[in-house]
Amino acid sequence: MRAVIRDGIGVFHPQGFLDGTSGAALLSIEDIDVTIKSNAEMILVSLKKVIFFNRNGLDTFVKMFRKVRIANHIVVGFCDYDTKKYDAIMKFYDSDLSFSLFKTQQIATLFCATFKEKNKNVLLYSEDKSQRAALAIELHDNGHNPIVAQTEAEFLEKSKVEDAYDFVIESTYLGQMGQKVAARVTGNAIIYTVSSFLDAEITNTFNIAYHNNSLNVGFRLFIFDAYKVVSMNIHALNFFSKLSSSSAEYNATICFVGLSFEKTPAAFKETLEDAGILFFAQMDDILQNKKLLDELGASSAANVKNKRVLNKVLVSELPNFIDATVATIEMMTNSKAVKDAAKVDRIKIDNKEDKIASSIGFYGDIDGMVMLIFPVEIAKKACELLIGESTEDKELILDTLAELVNIVGGKVKTLLADEHISVDITLPRTYHDVDGLLEVADNKKGVQVDLSFNNDRFLFFLTR
Amino acid sequence: MITKEKVNAFIEKIPPSPKILKATIILLDQGDLIKAAKIAKEDLALSAYLKNLVNRPIYGFRNEVSDVSQIFGILGVSKSQQAVYNYMISLLSPVKWKLFSLNKATFYELQAQLSAKWQKIVAHLGIKDKDIQSAISLLPASIIVSEALFCEKIEDVRLLRSVNEIDLNTILQRLCKMDLFDICDNIAQKWEMSESISQIINAASGLKPSSDETINMLGKWMHLLLFYTLSQEIFIHAQLNDFIDFQVDYVSDIYEDFLSLMEIS
Repeated sequence: MRAVIRDGIGVFHPQGFLDGTSGAALLSIEDIDVTIKSNAEMILVSLKKVIFFNRNGLDTFVKMFRKVRIANHIVVGFCDYDTKKYDAIMKFYDSDLSFSLFKTQQIATLFCATFKEKNKNVLLYSEDKSQRAALAIELHDNGHNPIVAQTEAEFLEKSKVEDAYDFVIESTYLGQMGQKVAARVTGNAIIYTVSSFLDAEITNTFNIAYHNNSLNVGFRLFIFDAYKVVSMNIHALNFFSKLSSSSAEYNATICFVGLSFEKTPAAFKETLEDAGILFFAQMDDILQNKKLLDELGASSAANVKNKRVLNKVLVSELPNFIDATVATIEMMTNSKAVKDAAKVDRIKIDNKEDKIASSIGFYGDIDGMVMLIFPVEIAKKACELLIGESTEDKELILDTLAELVNIVGGKVKTLLADEHISVDITLPRTYHDVDGLLEVADNKKGVQVDLSFNNDRFLFFLTR
Repeated sequence: MITKEKVNAFIEKIPPSPKILKATIILLDQGDLIKAAKIAKEDLALSAYLKNLVNRPIYGFRNEVSDVSQIFGILGVSKSQQAVYNYMISLLSPVKWKLFSLNKATFYELQAQLSAKWQKIVAHLGIKDKDIQSAISLLPASIIVSEALFCEKIEDVRLLRSVNEIDLNTILQRLCKMDLFDICDNIAQKWEMSESISQIINAASGLKPSSDETINMLGKWMHLLLFYTLSQEIFIHAQLNDFIDFQVDYVSDIYEDFLSLMEIS
C-alpha cells in the first residue's frame, strides 16, 4: 500500500479490518522505503474506512512512523477517527504515544506549515493541560488564531455557537512535531519557515533537492520566514552563504524576513549581505510590494542558467513523451487524440484566450522540460475524473492540472526507464495564463506538437 | 481508458450459461438432488470444480469427497445451488490475472470463504430462501469484471490511483456512468439468475441502498462480509482490499452483531 500525497501530506487509506496479519500484509518494506523517500512533510494513516483494529494492526503503522520520523524529522500520526477509536488508541499506547492523532485530515493540515490557508479561527480543547498549550503554540506558529477552552464545559458552551470558528479541535493529540524546514509556495515565491537555533543541523533539515527542483522549474524568489529564529551560528551562516551563491547562478534571490540580530553577531548580517541575501522586517514588505517583487524576480521565471539547445538524444525520445502525454489525457478525458502538426521551432501559440498552461522538468540521464498548453475545457474535463464533479474554480482546476502533469511526468519516467534511461521529475508548475509560460519558454527552440482532443486544440512543447 | 462501448462489448462477450448448468440449477431448485447430480456429472469441469471446492479446509471434511451425488448430498440443496453458481462465475475468470494477484486456487478460495461465511450469516438471520443463499456467488463477479476491464491499462490505473484516493468502481462510474455492480447485474440477467440476487448485490455495493428493508439489510451484511474477507492476508496481497470503496457508515448498525457472529474480538 502506498500513501497518496497531496499538498505535501502523504495519507495511507487502509480499509476494513486491521489486525496483526492484515497490517503486515498492507505495508511492505518497499512501501516504507517509498514513504521515506517521498519528501512528504506529514505522513498520516486515515482510519476512516477501518471498522475494526487492534494493537497489533496499528503497530505495523506505528513502526513505520518511527522509521519515517528518524529519517525525515516530520509529523506522523493517525487521522479520521471517532471518539471510540481515539479512546482505544490512547488506551493501547498510553505512555508510549510518540506519534500524533488528528481527528480529521483537515485538522491535520492546520498543523502543516505548507497549508495554503492561514488565519483560521480555531477553538480547541484537550483534557491534558500541556497538550492544550502545545496545540495552541503550533497553531499560532502556523499562522492561525487558536482559542483555548480551559474546561470541557467551556468548550461545549463555545462550540455551540454556530459559524464562530473555522475549525473545532478535540480528541487530537500532538506527538513529536516535525523539525524539517517547511516550504510553501505563494505566487511565484517559495517561503521556507525556519525557527529556534540555526546550526549545522540545517544541512539535514533543509530539503536541498526540493530547492534545486524549484530552481529548475523556474522559481526565482526564496524567502526564509525567520521570525522565530533565536540565533544563528557560523555553520548555518556558511550554509546560507553557499545556498545564496549557488542560487545566484540561476539569477535567484534569497531573502530573510523577521530575523532579529539580538543574539546573532551583527557581522553575520554583513557576511550574508555580501553573499547577496536581502533582509526585510516584515513579510508584507516583500509580498505586498509588486514593484519589488518584479525586481526580485518573483514574476519573471526566465531560466537563465539552463539556456540550452535541444539535442539529438532528447528528440529521439520524443515519441515517449508524446505517448505519455496523449495516453494520460486520453485516459483522463475519455477522448481520442489526433496529431495535427509537429515542428522544431520557438513555441507559437495562435490563440491565447481561454488557455492554461503547465510545465514539468526532468533531469538525470537526459534533461529538459515538457510544457503543456490546455484549453480550459480539456483541463476541466480531466479534472472531473480526479475530483468527481465539474468545477469552475480556477485554483482547483490548476491544482488538479498539476496532478495531471505529475501523472504525465510519472509515465515519462516509466517509459524511459524501460529503455534504461533514468530520470527524475521536478515539481509541476502551473500558469494562470499562457504569458506566464512564455516567459519561461523565453524564446527557446523546442519540438512543438499540436494535438486535438475532440476538436479541442492542445499544445505539447518539449525543450531544454 | 474505459469507455461505455468497451463495457458493452464486455457484456456482449459473456457466453450464455451452458445447458447442463441451467438444467442442474433447475433440478436443484426443485430439490431433486439425485437427478441434478446425474446431469452435473456430464460436465467434467463442473465435477472437478465441485470436488475442489468441497474438499477445501473451510468445509472441514475429514475424508476426501469425490462423487458428485455425494457432494450434493453433503451440501444440501441451497449450498449445491450456490456451488453451481460459483462455478458459472468462475467460467468468466481469466486464465492469467494481471491487475489482481490472483490465480485459480486463490479465486476458488475467495469463493469458498464468502460462500461458507454467507451461509453462516443467512442461518443467523433465519433466512431459508434458496436464491438469497446463492446471492453471494455473484459478488466475485465484480472482481472478474474489474480485472477484465482494467487489466489492459494497469499502469494508468495505478498512476491515477497514486495521485488520488479513487477506487476502481469510482473510476468506472466517473468514466462510463456505470459501475461494477451494474455490470454484475447485467451478467445476472444474462444468466437468468433470480432478480433478488441482483438486488442484494446492488445493495451490497454500499452505494445503492434498496427500498426493501430485508434486501437492504442483507446488502449490509454482504458489504461487511466482503470487507472482512478482503482484509485477509492473501486477499490483501492480491490487492483486492481497496478495489471498491468501503462504506463504514452503511454497515455501522450491524457491526456489533457481525463481530459476535464471526467471533472477532
